[in-house]
Amino acid sequence: MKTRPTRPLAAACAALSVTAVVACSSDGNDDSNEPTAQDGSADDSSGAEAEPVTLTVGLFGDFGFGPLYEEYEELNPHVTIEERVAEFADHHTNLTAHLATGSGAADIEAVEAGFISQYTAVPDRFHNLLDLGAGELESRWLPWKWQQATSQDGSAVIGLGTDVGGMAMCYRTDLFEAAGLPTDRDEVSALWEDSWEDYVAVGREYMEATEGSYFFESSGNMFRAMVEQAPVGVYDTDNNIIVDSNPDIREAWDLTVEAIEAGMSNQLAAWSPEWTAAFGEGTFATIICPAWMTAFIEGNAPEADGLWDIAAVPGGAGNMGGSHLVLPAQGQHPEEAYALIEWLTAPEQQLKVFQETGNFPSTPELYDNPELTGFSKAYFNDAPLGEIFTTAAQQVEPQYQGPLQGDVLTMIGQGLGRIEEGAQNPDEAWDQVRSDLGSLQ
Amino acid sequence: MNRRGPGKLVYLTLLAVVFFSSIPLYFSLVVASHDNSVIGQVPPPLLPGPNLLENVRRVFETVPFGAALVNSLIVSGTVTASVVLFSTLAGFAFARLKFRASNALLVIVVATMMVPTQLGIIPLYIMMSEIGWTDSLQAVIVPALVNAFGVFFMTQYLREALPVELIEAGRVDGASTRRLFWNVVLPIARPAAAVLGMLTFLTAWNDYFWPLVVLSSPENYTVQVALSNLRSGYVTDFSLALTGALLATVPLLLAFVVLGRHIIGGIMQGAVKG
Amino acid sequence: MPTALTASPPTRKPEPARRPPARRLRDRFYWWDLRVSPYLYISPFFLVFAAFGLFPLGYTAWVSLHDWSLLGDDHSFIGLGNYQQMLADPYFWNALRNTVSILVLGTVPQLLLAIGLAHLLNARLRGQTFFRMGMLLPNVASVVAIAIIFSQLFGRDFGVINWVLEMLGVGRIDWHAGVASSHIAIAVMVIWQWTGYNALIYLAAMQAVPDELYESAKLDGASALQQLRKITIPMIRPTIIFTVVISTIFGLQVFAQPQLFARSAADSITGGSSRQFQTLTLYLYEHAFNRGFQFGYASATAWLMFLLIVVAVVINYLLVRRIRSAS
Repeated sequence: MKTRPTRPLAAACAALSVTAVVACSSDGNDDSNEPTAQDGSADDSSGAEAEPVTLTVGLFGDFGFGPLYEEYEELNPHVTIEERVAEFADHHTNLTAHLATGSGAADIEAVEAGFISQYTAVPDRFHNLLDLGAGELESRWLPWKWQQATSQDGSAVIGLGTDVGGMAMCYRTDLFEAAGLPTDRDEVSALWEDSWEDYVAVGREYMEATEGSYFFESSGNMFRAMVEQAPVGVYDTDNNIIVDSNPDIREAWDLTVEAIEAGMSNQLAAWSPEWTAAFGEGTFATIICPAWMTAFIEGNAPEADGLWDIAAVPGGAGNMGGSHLVLPAQGQHPEEAYALIEWLTAPEQQLKVFQETGNFPSTPELYDNPELTGFSKAYFNDAPLGEIFTTAAQQVEPQYQGPLQGDVLTMIGQGLGRIEEGAQNPDEAWDQVRSDLGSLQ
Repeated sequence: MNRRGPGKLVYLTLLAVVFFSSIPLYFSLVVASHDNSVIGQVPPPLLPGPNLLENVRRVFETVPFGAALVNSLIVSGTVTASVVLFSTLAGFAFARLKFRASNALLVIVVATMMVPTQLGIIPLYIMMSEIGWTDSLQAVIVPALVNAFGVFFMTQYLREALPVELIEAGRVDGASTRRLFWNVVLPIARPAAAVLGMLTFLTAWNDYFWPLVVLSSPENYTVQVALSNLRSGYVTDFSLALTGALLATVPLLLAFVVLGRHIIGGIMQGAVKG
Repeated sequence: MPTALTASPPTRKPEPARRPPARRLRDRFYWWDLRVSPYLYISPFFLVFAAFGLFPLGYTAWVSLHDWSLLGDDHSFIGLGNYQQMLADPYFWNALRNTVSILVLGTVPQLLLAIGLAHLLNARLRGQTFFRMGMLLPNVASVVAIAIIFSQLFGRDFGVINWVLEMLGVGRIDWHAGVASSHIAIAVMVIWQWTGYNALIYLAAMQAVPDELYESAKLDGASALQQLRKITIPMIRPTIIFTVVISTIFGLQVFAQPQLFARSAADSITGGSSRQFQTLTLYLYEHAFNRGFQFGYASATAWLMFLLIVVAVVINYLLVRRIRSAS
């Protein structure tokens, strides 16, 4: 693990200035095609002739890759894999800094869904995976997952999908019971299966029947879920921000405001310590649950064992979160790195990751695999997680996401926050959102 | 100086300050000795639990903590020694030596602190990659070898603590500037040097974002970069993260004990002459 | 000192030949020593700064004149366009107001408390090392622990302070939501973290004040407070100037505390949903690493901050200079 072969090309590149490094790394791309061409796909070369290579992988968390590296290194003895992990936000800032300066990035970097569109906007900073043969694998992934990593004009694909976050709705059975609502997950799903309006209606019922608790944790997540489900989101495919003219966005906003005004929101900011504590305290009854959220709830509120259950999310399917593995253009081993991410994101490996971490696979091939569909967790009253999330992931429709997607959603979310905090009325908040968005373009 | 023993009220005030200052550290100990679930508990537990050793073992298992400790000691030790020496030299020159443009130069020193540094990381990284220093400890050490804070601090301290007459007397005896520095200035500077040493060690030890950007191989990580591995992912294991944080403070506290003793003492002999 | 320097060479000039060569060498050395040593002593700072500080400054100054995205390749020159745009942005002025407010709320009490603490520490205490180390504990704790502790302190629903307020019948405060309340909370974090740090700096300076001054003051029947005002403060005036200048500089660049105070990732960028606690550095960060990585605009923010900090430092320097000097 510790041996680092010298990389003369990298050193030569590093000696040049930024702009030159960019040019240099695309040269490096061409050069490295030649020597590695013979091992085409690294899988079949059992390493007799192949030159030893160290691949670095930069992640923002435990992707459950550890055992897979060992397996891969055994299959490909010339490859050594070195993992670097950093905290979520730091990882992405660090990656941006390295992309900007043209050196220092790992050969393989993870990018979370909230960040991917700002990188697909600058595809030349990454190796185009279509040039490395990814095109023929397209059908391996959910169509929307593939599209998330595709550049606007479709000429480049910068990353291969790892997990997805198909949405479900987690709810507290004890709080539902106290409010006189059904607790069986099918009945709960039926309560709001038609629309978010029904969800808000159930919320009103809940708020009338109980005291001292809220229907959901934060309005921002509710709004976001609705936006994720719409066929067109905050951008059109020409990269115009269309928040103002897209009726789906306005409807989502109005319905969220209605819920806020009915006092349903616990006004907790996601990931804050108060939010974390609230899972165990039971101060709110429902939360939108992508697959990865279930692991969070279980880990942070062990005392609430058996109290949480999972139903379908209102309004159809949608996705929240998930990641891609990308290859920064400055990397000197695109062939080998591609071979590795192709292997890591293959269905067999995604299944292993799912079993290890609960991160939900992005490859439909697995969606009728009993190991996935039959998966359940005792903590959630043996709810059929595999089945729920499979259905959720399959039904997601691709939605185009623009380069400043994250900023746009943040601005709208902050507008809802101002209503929650009583700083503005809904009209003022909406006006400010519009003028904030104007400053983005 | 109040040489009579201070009253109970003074001790109580100081104890209260130390108490409030130590809360996050104590809280880290509590969480580090339980498991992650205590983060969500209201109210949080007040006493340490039984899991500290287990968590320590997990820290050493998860990240190359031992190597990171060595790296951090090298970085912080070198930077501290160098900052204290060079700041005292420069502070002596600015405070008590006469030379052209000294005031203007001191103003420049202070002004260099006034540009926010967050963006400097990008051009600094470009430089480091041009001279081939990325992913090496010298990229963290060399730019920090002397700083404006230390120079300005020592200048101001020596302006009040180093009597002009002492320097003049030395000159009359024919002492060179270098001898004045070693025999007169350094002893007088000792309390300030100890404080500057503590503050510098602390800053270098806690420095995080620049090392994260510039050091990429795990064998070169400093402690803070290595710790970053512990609080990552969708689900942060706080008991693990805070165990790491707690371990990282141990060398700091040791450094404080060593340096803290020097704050008092040296100055007394020096000042008597003046 | 300079008179001795200019006076000595002429007296010796008439008889240079007869002096032993060693002596002449020593005089020459002495002359060089006086002339060159000061520059030699300050040179490490300027060398390191020239090597590693100058380029980043020049680079960001250059970038600030461009429409420069961190990841884009077109860098069109727009002169002072970024600066004009910033001066027209109400959020910039909002950030400036917040920063000044937090600076005043956080720094003035902090330095006063630090002087008081240093005065207490400057006595013949038992367990001196323990108390001195204790002063730096807030700087030792990890940011993770600090963030959790303060959110438990200022939490809206389960926060300790709100719990106390409710017991007193005052009612809960949503600390994050209000302008004044969030500034106060952040100022408390700043004070908590940096008071001990400054106290140690003052303590080092106080150690250099000769004992005799206090002895004679005591003979005159001066109280502890009078001693502090009449002897200590005038004697450590240069160090007070140091802390005021440094606190102004770092206070206007305050970054960590509002970030830690923020409850969500979005808040840590915008400083709350109404930008109620967005400081200038958060504003800079918002543009540099979000919104399409506006590196040019963020660099312009950095340089405008530089100008503002110069003004603030000059004002504060003039204010604090009015402390009566000891000599």
